Amino acid sequence: MRQILSIATTTVGEAIRRRVLLIILLIGVLFLVVAPGLGVLSARSETVVLRGMMLGIIQLTSAVIAIVLTVYMIPNEIERRTIYTILSKPVQRWQFLIGKYLGAVFSLGLMMALMTAVLVFVFWLQASDQSLAAVGAMVKAPTMYFVQMSLLAAVAIFFSTFVAPLVNFFLTGGMYLLGSLFNPFFQTLQENQGTHPVTKAFAGIVNTILPNFANYNVQNPIINPTQVIQNESRYYLEVTFYGLFYIGILLVAGILIFDRREV
Amino acid sequence: MRRNNKSNLIGVGVFFLLCAGLLQRLAIYPTWTRDYNKSRTQINTSLDPQQMMFALAGFREMLAGILWVRADAFFDTGNYDAILPIIRLVTLLDPQQIDVYATGMWHIGYNFTDEEQRSDRRYIPSALALGKEGCRQNPETYEMFFETGWMWYHKIDDDYPEAVKYFIEAQQRPDMIPARKNLLMMAYQRNFQIDDALNMGFKLYDDALKRVEEDGASGNKQNRDTLENNIDTMLVRMVQRGYVAEKAGRSTAKYDISPPFDVGFSAKVTVLEPMVLRVEGTWNVRPVGTRVRIVLRDKDYTVVDHGVTKNIGRPAGMDWDFSNDVNLDPPRDKTFMQDQLFVKNTRFNKKIDMSKDPPMYPFTSDKYLIEFYYNPRSAPPHIQDKFGWNGEGMTDKHFLNDKVRPGQKCIYYAMEVPRDAILLHGQYQDKHPVFKTPNYVETKQDYNQDQILLDIPSLRASGK
Repeated sequence: MRQILSIATTTVGEAIRRRVLLIILLIGVLFLVVAPGLGVLSARSETVVLRGMMLGIIQLTSAVIAIVLTVYMIPNEIERRTIYTILSKPVQRWQFLIGKYLGAVFSLGLMMALMTAVLVFVFWLQASDQSLAAVGAMVKAPTMYFVQMSLLAAVAIFFSTFVAPLVNFFLTGGMYLLGSLFNPFFQTLQENQGTHPVTKAFAGIVNTILPNFANYNVQNPIINPTQVIQNESRYYLEVTFYGLFYIGILLVAGILIFDRREV
Repeated sequence: MRRNNKSNLIGVGVFFLLCAGLLQRLAIYPTWTRDYNKSRTQINTSLDPQQMMFALAGFREMLAGILWVRADAFFDTGNYDAILPIIRLVTLLDPQQIDVYATGMWHIGYNFTDEEQRSDRRYIPSALALGKEGCRQNPETYEMFFETGWMWYHKIDDDYPEAVKYFIEAQQRPDMIPARKNLLMMAYQRNFQIDDALNMGFKLYDDALKRVEEDGASGNKQNRDTLENNIDTMLVRMVQRGYVAEKAGRSTAKYDISPPFDVGFSAKVTVLEPMVLRVEGTWNVRPVGTRVRIVLRDKDYTVVDHGVTKNIGRPAGMDWDFSNDVNLDPPRDKTFMQDQLFVKNTRFNKKIDMSKDPPMYPFTSDKYLIEFYYNPRSAPPHIQDKFGWNGEGMTDKHFLNDKVRPGQKCIYYAMEVPRDAILLHGQYQDKHPVFKTPNYVETKQDYNQDQILLDIPSLRASGK
């Protein structure tokens, strides 16, 4: 465990020092700050637009950070040959992989926490309803986004064990886009009476097996508070467990592949 | 890694996959579909990839808002066709933007007109489909139910059970504006649910009294007074129109609806020029306010819905509610003209010119129907005072009909007209074909609108 924590801590330090990540983070924060000014462009209620836009900025920025942070993690270690130094010590490959992943998740958590703090502050300044409940409601979505991004990081770590960073970037990005579409796409197929049963069954299998990022897009009732939601906490718990299970699957698969890989 | 450890890891992975799959299928997906999906129901139109990218990026509300601002500019310039795709796009991106559904529905239903301001009614099924989609996407609020009900009540002005259905749905939503609730009372009357209308009136009045007690704002007082007035008027009408007597099993012979009044309907249609008609006829009701509906439509008004060809035409109308798909392109090969014939001095005489709007009246079929339709449920109150809510006090020797709208008395006549006659082609070239009801009697009196002398009866008992 000590080895894992030590690798994770080092990874956090490296991540914080990476300029490209800091620039992406800075851009995200800047957008969050100017977001209230952009609300006037829209005929829609400014609060609704503000909520939607700020959550969108956090989600998009976090996804870019998660991918950029993770795709280079293991290939860089191999390319710079620093991995030999680490693996020559009493550190197993699986410990290295998990340590790297946890480091990435911690770094991501730190950056997302910063963006969420800015979101809460800006929203508190702008919103007509400044109650703790209203502002607190805004934090729910970033919390779920954090689980989503942790899953995304796991996808990237898994791919990084056997593909080059550039390929990994597009693979992970593609998985994220597809995964975000699964639920609406599956729903459309299920409800469309003209769809062939085989297609429906195939879509059902894909929707069940592949990582489903759409589950974490919980922003709609936050943006439109009139919507009635049943058992919100239970849903959050379910998707968190789903995320943990899936991260587990990806890490196990990653460990198995990385274990056989020649470095 | 040892072989044993590998097997264990694979086992753990498979177990996790099973748990994740079951969780996704049995718990997460059903809840997500119900509570978290941006579109509550399936929309049978997809976004194009660029729009999808924006939607995925989480900026749906922002993009939808900007597009709606753009649509506003098109409203100002009168570029109505350009607004339709924007409406669709905005409702796809942000289905909770109720204003767009409501404005879009109004726009589609009301704003597409010909040179003589007749609505293009081929669009109405699309407007209703948009309204229904708005209801499904926003079931918590009353607005779209009210707007859809209003479309049935005011624009279609027929099929009142549908208006009642939507107004009841709107009433059940807690955010319904009190003054708007009054409309259900009126819709009940048009649907000949008189007891329900009265009960609704009293219920609304009680609620209005409570509101005045809680807050004596002038708006609350005004609504209370309006309801009081409506209930008073309705009670008087219930008595005068013999409704109370009939409910009590007594004779209605001494009430205003007896004996039934013969409206003496007859009509003649002359084709003056290609796609230009002169419609004239008789209607024995002297007070102003009668509007006889005239419809000219394809005899077979067929449309393709989900690959199935449906004949949605029906007497003096169509199956407005035939589709749930928002199709912003109406059937371009179909013709559906609807107008009102205003009765003045017991006659109507109107020139209907469709020649300036060929896209709206393409006349591509061989056979057309010209239909005349009068429904006393849509009549103004002073005429209903004689005819009753449901036509009890109305009759006609030739055209009284209770089949075209089951359970309702109405006046209906349809004449089949070939396309060539309307376009003055073929055998009708250089002629002015005439189509008339069998009872139409020619008169030498000139009833052109400008020359009518109004014979207004005296209100004095002596009649002088």
